[in-house]
Amino acid sequence: MRSILLGIVTFLVIVPDLAGQEWIVPDDKKGKLSTFQFDENTKKSGEKIYSVNCISCHGTPGKGNFLKLVPPPGDPATDKIQLNRDGELFYKVINGRGQMPSFKNALSSDEIWHVISFVRSFNSSYKQLIMPVITSSAYPGAVIKMMLSYNSSDSTIVLEADAVKQNSSVAVTGAEVKLLVHRTFGHLQIDDIKTTDINGKVAFKVPANLPGDTLGNIQVSARFINEDTFGSVSKDTILTAALITLPVSLVAERAMWNNVRKAPVWVILTYSLGLLTALGFIGLVLMKIRDIFIIGESVLKDSEKINIT
Amino acid sequence: MSEKKKKENPEDSKIDEILESSRRDFLKMVGIVGAASVAGGAAIYSGYRHEKAKSSGETIKVLTEDNRLVEIPKDQVKDYKPDLKVLQTRGRLGIKGKKWVMVIDLSKCRNARKCVAACQGAHHLRPYEYHINTLVMQESKNTPAYYMPKTCQHCDNPPCVSVCPVDATFKRQDGIVLIDNERCIGCRFCMAACPYSARMFHWQEPLDAEADKGKEYDVELNVPQKKGTISKCLFSADRVREETLPYCVSACPNGVFYFGDENENAVTNGTTKETVMLSELLEKNAGYRILDELGTKPRVYYLPPKNRIFDFKQGPATEYKETT
Repeated sequence: MRSILLGIVTFLVIVPDLAGQEWIVPDDKKGKLSTFQFDENTKKSGEKIYSVNCISCHGTPGKGNFLKLVPPPGDPATDKIQLNRDGELFYKVINGRGQMPSFKNALSSDEIWHVISFVRSFNSSYKQLIMPVITSSAYPGAVIKMMLSYNSSDSTIVLEADAVKQNSSVAVTGAEVKLLVHRTFGHLQIDDIKTTDINGKVAFKVPANLPGDTLGNIQVSARFINEDTFGSVSKDTILTAALITLPVSLVAERAMWNNVRKAPVWVILTYSLGLLTALGFIGLVLMKIRDIFIIGESVLKDSEKINIT
Repeated sequence: MSEKKKKENPEDSKIDEILESSRRDFLKMVGIVGAASVAGGAAIYSGYRHEKAKSSGETIKVLTEDNRLVEIPKDQVKDYKPDLKVLQTRGRLGIKGKKWVMVIDLSKCRNARKCVAACQGAHHLRPYEYHINTLVMQESKNTPAYYMPKTCQHCDNPPCVSVCPVDATFKRQDGIVLIDNERCIGCRFCMAACPYSARMFHWQEPLDAEADKGKEYDVELNVPQKKGTISKCLFSADRVREETLPYCVSACPNGVFYFGDENENAVTNGTTKETVMLSELLEKNAGYRILDELGTKPRVYYLPPKNRIFDFKQGPATEYKETT
């Protein structure tokens, strides 16, 4: 009990002072490396991603025009950032801390490596180390393939992963996979992260209230979590696995706030009748004036004249 | 004058006549020469353009709106800039098949004011002109206060639209309520009708009025702003058209804002970019809408202000931290 209390107290004391704290990256994450060589293309792509996601706080590299926050975000061209190893930069971008947001859901790991490639271009003494792919792969030399299908009986999406090598195929077992559904502003994760079974299969439960398009189609994509072991394999496909959604326009109903053609019927009727009545009344008055005018014009007979005196 | 002269001296009138006729001839000549030179110039210019077009001869492939791949001469390519008519038409219609919805998590707002700044930057507003503002809320003396970002609620039953006498403010099929500054007469009925005080009035010449002069008015951005008219939160209609999160949503450093399409039952957090199911988010966090009892049916949901700061001090921006 005392140790828990002590823990809480230490936590409360330490956490508020992020500014003075070093950002410690776990040792096993420090050594992470890109699987591809940084070149002009990765740098260009990284620059584009940087200008959308990072520039608002970190400023233009080399200019020192980063935001004056506490702790300061720092200029990527300076030692503050450049002294980090590739794996440390990757970890920091992925996880974030304090005001630095996590880019876990915003950027793919390839995109983060592109940003690092761009940032490293400001360091002339940087020499890139590349992760050897073959040695760390669980299925050396094989091409990993994924298949996605929808099982309507228990409304699950079944993924089957196979490692294909020279006409022979082995089921990919024990691989963690996540399933994402495409939405307007991002990807929605379906079910939890799951592990493939002995047959290389894994089933994801589709939520009952997941809307699809007008045909019930959804665009799904499956990815391996551990990209170091299985490579950045993903599978994108369209499945008829969701609810049929027929979008209704929000200006379809008749209402006071809607435009003239969509005004409530009683408003249109009352207005039209009112307008007709008003116009009719004006017409009537004009007719009467005309009558008086005609009477005034006509010559009276002697018998019709009234003698007032 | 000449009539008088004619009568006085017949000699003078003759000289006048000669002078008059020579002047007429001269003007005629000038006219002919001028017309000929204009026609000649035009002919040479059109010839030059024709030759230029022939000489370059390069074509590029372009995908048309109806998905046809066509080839057009390279020198005839012009940058597409939608004109006022296009901007007005598409601004009035909205985006088909969408029902935009925003969720604001009050437990995370720490008054960083990044949303306010991003919004004011995009819509050319002064620091004291708000489309979105963070308010300090306190239920009673003994409860800790919290911050509440307040935007236009984009009601499905908008009182502001009902009262507008000139159809300047309107609702679109995707749920966004907009104001057309080209139509607005500045009567401020909508300001009076809005229960959320979401609207502002340009009493003075707007910021950047000089710089924005001559720019095509975009009803989805309210730029250029116009003196004597209303302005309000637009759910960043120009950004959502490009499937990008609104200015305020993506500027927040604390993960306060979620934005998405109700038809897809999904909202995306502007900070973490994490997409979650709307129904689940509202249900698990007891989401609610402000002044729901008025029947305005807002399109903005709030998640309750749990995780409050107990030594609440109003002051500079504070960072959001998870407490255990």
